[in-house]
Amino acid sequence: MSENILQNAWLIAALPLISALLIIFFFNFSRVISATLSIGAVAYGLIHSLLVLNAVYQNPERVLEVNIPWIVAGNFKLFVGYLVDPLCAMMLVVVTAVSLFVQIYTHGYMKEDPGYSRFYSYLSLFTFSMLGLVFSTNLFQSYIFWELVGVCSFLLIGFWWYKPSAASACVKAFVVNRIGDAGLLVGILILYFVSVSYWDNHTTLAFSELKNVMKVLVDGNVLPVVGVLSITTMALLILMGPMAKSAQFPLHIWLPDAMEGPTPISALIHAATMVAAGVYLIARCYPIYVSSDVAMNIVAWIGAITAIFSASIALSQYDIKRTLAYSTCSQLGLMVMALGLGAYSAGLFHLMTHAFFKAMLFLCSGSVIIACHHEQDMREMGGLKKHMPITSLCCLIGVLAISGFPLLSGFWSKDMIIAAAWEHNKTLFVIASITAFMTAFYMFRLYFMTFSGKYRGHAHPHECTPAITTPLIALAIPSIFIGFLGSPLIPGGDKFSAFIHYGEHHAHHEWGFGVFMHELLSIQGLVPLFTFIVGTVLAYMVYVKGLGLNNFFKDKLTPLYKGSFNKWYIDEAYYGVLNKVIMPSYQYLWKIIDRVIIDGFFVNGSAFVASFVGGGLRYIETGRGQFYALVMFASVLVGVVVSLFRFK
Amino acid sequence: MDLGSFFLQHALSTIVILPIIAAVIIAFLPDREPLCRALALIFSLNILLNVFVIIFSKFDPTLTSLQYVESYRWFGDTIRFKLGVDGLSVSMVLLMAILLPITIIASEPIAKQKPKFYYSMLMLVTTSVIGVFVAQDLFLFFLFWELELIPMYFLIAIWGGKNRAYASMKFLIYTFVAGALMFAAVLLLYFGSHSTTFDMEVLANLSKTLPHSFKFACFVLFFLCFIIKLPSFPFHTWLPDAHVEAPTPVSMLLAGILLKMGGYGLYRICAGFFPTILAELGVLILILATVNIVGGAVACLVQDDMKKIIAYSSVSHMGFVLLGLVSLTAAGFSGGIFQMFSHGLISAALFMLVGTLYERTHTRNVADYGGMTKYMPKCFYIFILAAMANLALPALSGFVGESLVFYGAFSSPFFTELSTGLHFNFGQICTMFCSIGVILTAGYMLLLLKKVFMGPENTKWAGLTDLRTSELVVLGTLLGLVVLYGVYPMALTKIYEPSSDALNQSAQIARLTDDQT
Repeated sequence: MSENILQNAWLIAALPLISALLIIFFFNFSRVISATLSIGAVAYGLIHSLLVLNAVYQNPERVLEVNIPWIVAGNFKLFVGYLVDPLCAMMLVVVTAVSLFVQIYTHGYMKEDPGYSRFYSYLSLFTFSMLGLVFSTNLFQSYIFWELVGVCSFLLIGFWWYKPSAASACVKAFVVNRIGDAGLLVGILILYFVSVSYWDNHTTLAFSELKNVMKVLVDGNVLPVVGVLSITTMALLILMGPMAKSAQFPLHIWLPDAMEGPTPISALIHAATMVAAGVYLIARCYPIYVSSDVAMNIVAWIGAITAIFSASIALSQYDIKRTLAYSTCSQLGLMVMALGLGAYSAGLFHLMTHAFFKAMLFLCSGSVIIACHHEQDMREMGGLKKHMPITSLCCLIGVLAISGFPLLSGFWSKDMIIAAAWEHNKTLFVIASITAFMTAFYMFRLYFMTFSGKYRGHAHPHECTPAITTPLIALAIPSIFIGFLGSPLIPGGDKFSAFIHYGEHHAHHEWGFGVFMHELLSIQGLVPLFTFIVGTVLAYMVYVKGLGLNNFFKDKLTPLYKGSFNKWYIDEAYYGVLNKVIMPSYQYLWKIIDRVIIDGFFVNGSAFVASFVGGGLRYIETGRGQFYALVMFASVLVGVVVSLFRFK
Repeated sequence: MDLGSFFLQHALSTIVILPIIAAVIIAFLPDREPLCRALALIFSLNILLNVFVIIFSKFDPTLTSLQYVESYRWFGDTIRFKLGVDGLSVSMVLLMAILLPITIIASEPIAKQKPKFYYSMLMLVTTSVIGVFVAQDLFLFFLFWELELIPMYFLIAIWGGKNRAYASMKFLIYTFVAGALMFAAVLLLYFGSHSTTFDMEVLANLSKTLPHSFKFACFVLFFLCFIIKLPSFPFHTWLPDAHVEAPTPVSMLLAGILLKMGGYGLYRICAGFFPTILAELGVLILILATVNIVGGAVACLVQDDMKKIIAYSSVSHMGFVLLGLVSLTAAGFSGGIFQMFSHGLISAALFMLVGTLYERTHTRNVADYGGMTKYMPKCFYIFILAAMANLALPALSGFVGESLVFYGAFSSPFFTELSTGLHFNFGQICTMFCSIGVILTAGYMLLLLKKVFMGPENTKWAGLTDLRTSELVVLGTLLGLVVLYGVYPMALTKIYEPSSDALNQSAQIARLTDDQT
């Protein structure tokens, strides 16, 4: 039975693809059929994924890997297939669960949109691509689905194509991701190149072989650990992919703009699943990273810089979705940092908890946006608690979870990361703690500005339909409880780390209330709690009690405030370079080379020479045989003389 | 003798001669467009059917030798009418046979003027292109190569746009120079090797024993001829001009199959006859390929004319053919050939799309558009698919060729050998540089998509109709194949892979023996 479940796991990914194709080609006329097909496919996927998770949990040693050759050229082979292991099983459940709830929510959110069916087909297509990425057995297959999720994201950000902002955002998202993909491609190529003979009798670039390959590379001294062409450069090039996809500094610029897409997309793709794919890929390529301490350090620092940098921007944004987007960047930064610190399970644990509560927060923001008649500016909101009790309660749960309120899901996962930082690198511990403080502050700022006080806008807000509130409630439950999987409060201790780990030691086998209190009352337990309290209280003082901190920042520390408000001018810098330097130089290059040198000088020049010579020859070609003979004789004579002199 | 086996024995001459017969019949028809088109379509479908029969009946892809060989005395035994196919040529013939009926369907709005002449010329082009791919006698190869020039010149010069005189003349001169170079190379090879025949199989072996200077001269002449056709920097400027002025179906044919004659020649003759010289000039060709890939993409980014963007993107994509060739690996060869096939489908689809827009609006300037999705939603979605295929999205055919070339080039033992004594692998540096082309391709395709179809609509185009059924058929067929070969590339590689692998191996052997002597 469980073997059957594992063997047929590919159905989880295949059904959304089939439903997407059916909607595109046959059922795009009918809203009911489109929604049913799409939701049905992913609902089946969730059930099957839970069964898979159960089967894998019963027997974590049983790893199923099926590979089919996709292309063969001489000795060169590439494969696609599916891999079922603990990490995959966990991701399957996260992706299908979030996707299911988002798709139900979509029915409420998009019901008046003329592109309703199309939206469902894109959602199904995205779900398929994301599941394909999760199932990937090797780096090449990951690259395939990596790009496919990117294109789905492109389609969905640009769903409202008539909005100029959406049109720019989708192009920006795809191109920035392409920059990362190019790095990823070169990284994969280096890996393939240095181990080319190894793959002759193994599945090319398989994740399951990476450990052995790295051992061969390091032990055999095939590739130095540090250097121009080394394991470190390879790891960092591969990292470019995750940096773009998971919106890490300095390739984070696309994610906030991606909020131009419909809100369900922001929840599914740009909060819970696709942006987490970067973290997932780092985890899959972990053998490469652990081989190089430099690479691990850089990963950790990129994560930390992203975390604090994005959090500092989120402090001053007024757009509710952008605040959440920067918060997503920041949390992804924490996950990346955790992986860089060697806290493999902590990073992935945060990925899982974050997926649930951040998806829910985005769906809450969507609910608020609908209620306020497509108003996204938080200055035009306020006092919505009275009008929207369910949404405000769910949002409060999400805010508490992400800020690290004790016993909620975010508390456990974030604490794990901060504890790991304390253990490995004190500077990063400080950065992570400041980030946690900022997180608590801006999340409560969001909550207070939106839900408490008096309503400042001009619409007539009201609670949304059950299609919208049900998914909120459904996601609120894991947001509260899923953290216990990694807590010492359940019998047997930290179940998550025991299930998904990369050979790191974990001391979480002890359990009980005493253990919990002991951990909480250590420095690494108290600091996050303290930052949570300070951040929350400060936000309360400022946004409910009207403490003039805002004005103090605006008036006295203008550069800081402006920097944060304008996203530290990163976009301006990039666009400046692009529009002022790169594009004009391209224009110039093309004009000079193609128009002036080739066409102007050579092509038209040779035409000119031909006509000139032709014109000149008119006077020479007189038609008199004697003259021709004379010319011939003269040339021969000159030739003979020259050769005589040369060969003397 | 029964008809089936008669056909199989004369299959190749049938598909070479059928278009000529069609051209003659069309010349005697009344000058009415639907009639001529119907007849041309029937003949083209017949050719497609014949090609299918050729591939699926007796053709054995695992054999690397020539199949369906027909050889007739022509000028004594020196120049024979010898036809034959291996996996490489049959896949190019297949591409031609697929593109022909599609082009004819797409010709409807263009050929209203002088339909008889138009379809006759189209059929002559077909003969010459198929002839180039199946000819196994070098002189015959040259003749078919030159035959293409005349009908193509008329197709651009008569049915072209405003500036057609300049463009068609430029096309004529470039192609004519290419032909002259090839003619010199053919004669040099024939007399230099003291051969008694122009048979390509014989010459392929003889050419390897030639003195170095002869080989070098022949290779350079052939190579110049093929990269003019491919086209490659610095001989590419005829292509944007020709494309801009050529009518849509002719553009489709030009980008779809005529450029591949250059690529085919590179693999068949440059790599097949002179692998040692190919390796000797490896660094230059490598640089040329990189300049094409990146430079073509850069040029695309600064164009205002939609057709020019697609034309320069052809230059960029054909760079991968060169890169795959010079990598001298099985994956690189296979990728280059796949790239030719897939680019044939994708660029045809893109030119068709641009043509449909042009036909409705009579402007190719990107800035005149905006928000076209409002009026032409079907066109928008199909354009997205074609654009994604062009920027090598996985699961579409463009990706297969490019990734094969990337893997082949990066892991090429030849490049490692090339860089002995250097601290870095020059081939890998170039390949990394080429990956920038991948970013730029995404940039220009998506900017084009955004500027034409997204944003606020230009109300000037409010009355436009969406794609017609005939246009949908054309685009659906092309993009259906793009998806098919992208998802299941083995459907194509199965046909040509043993041949390209054998070509690569013979190149390796030639280089080894050359090293020893």
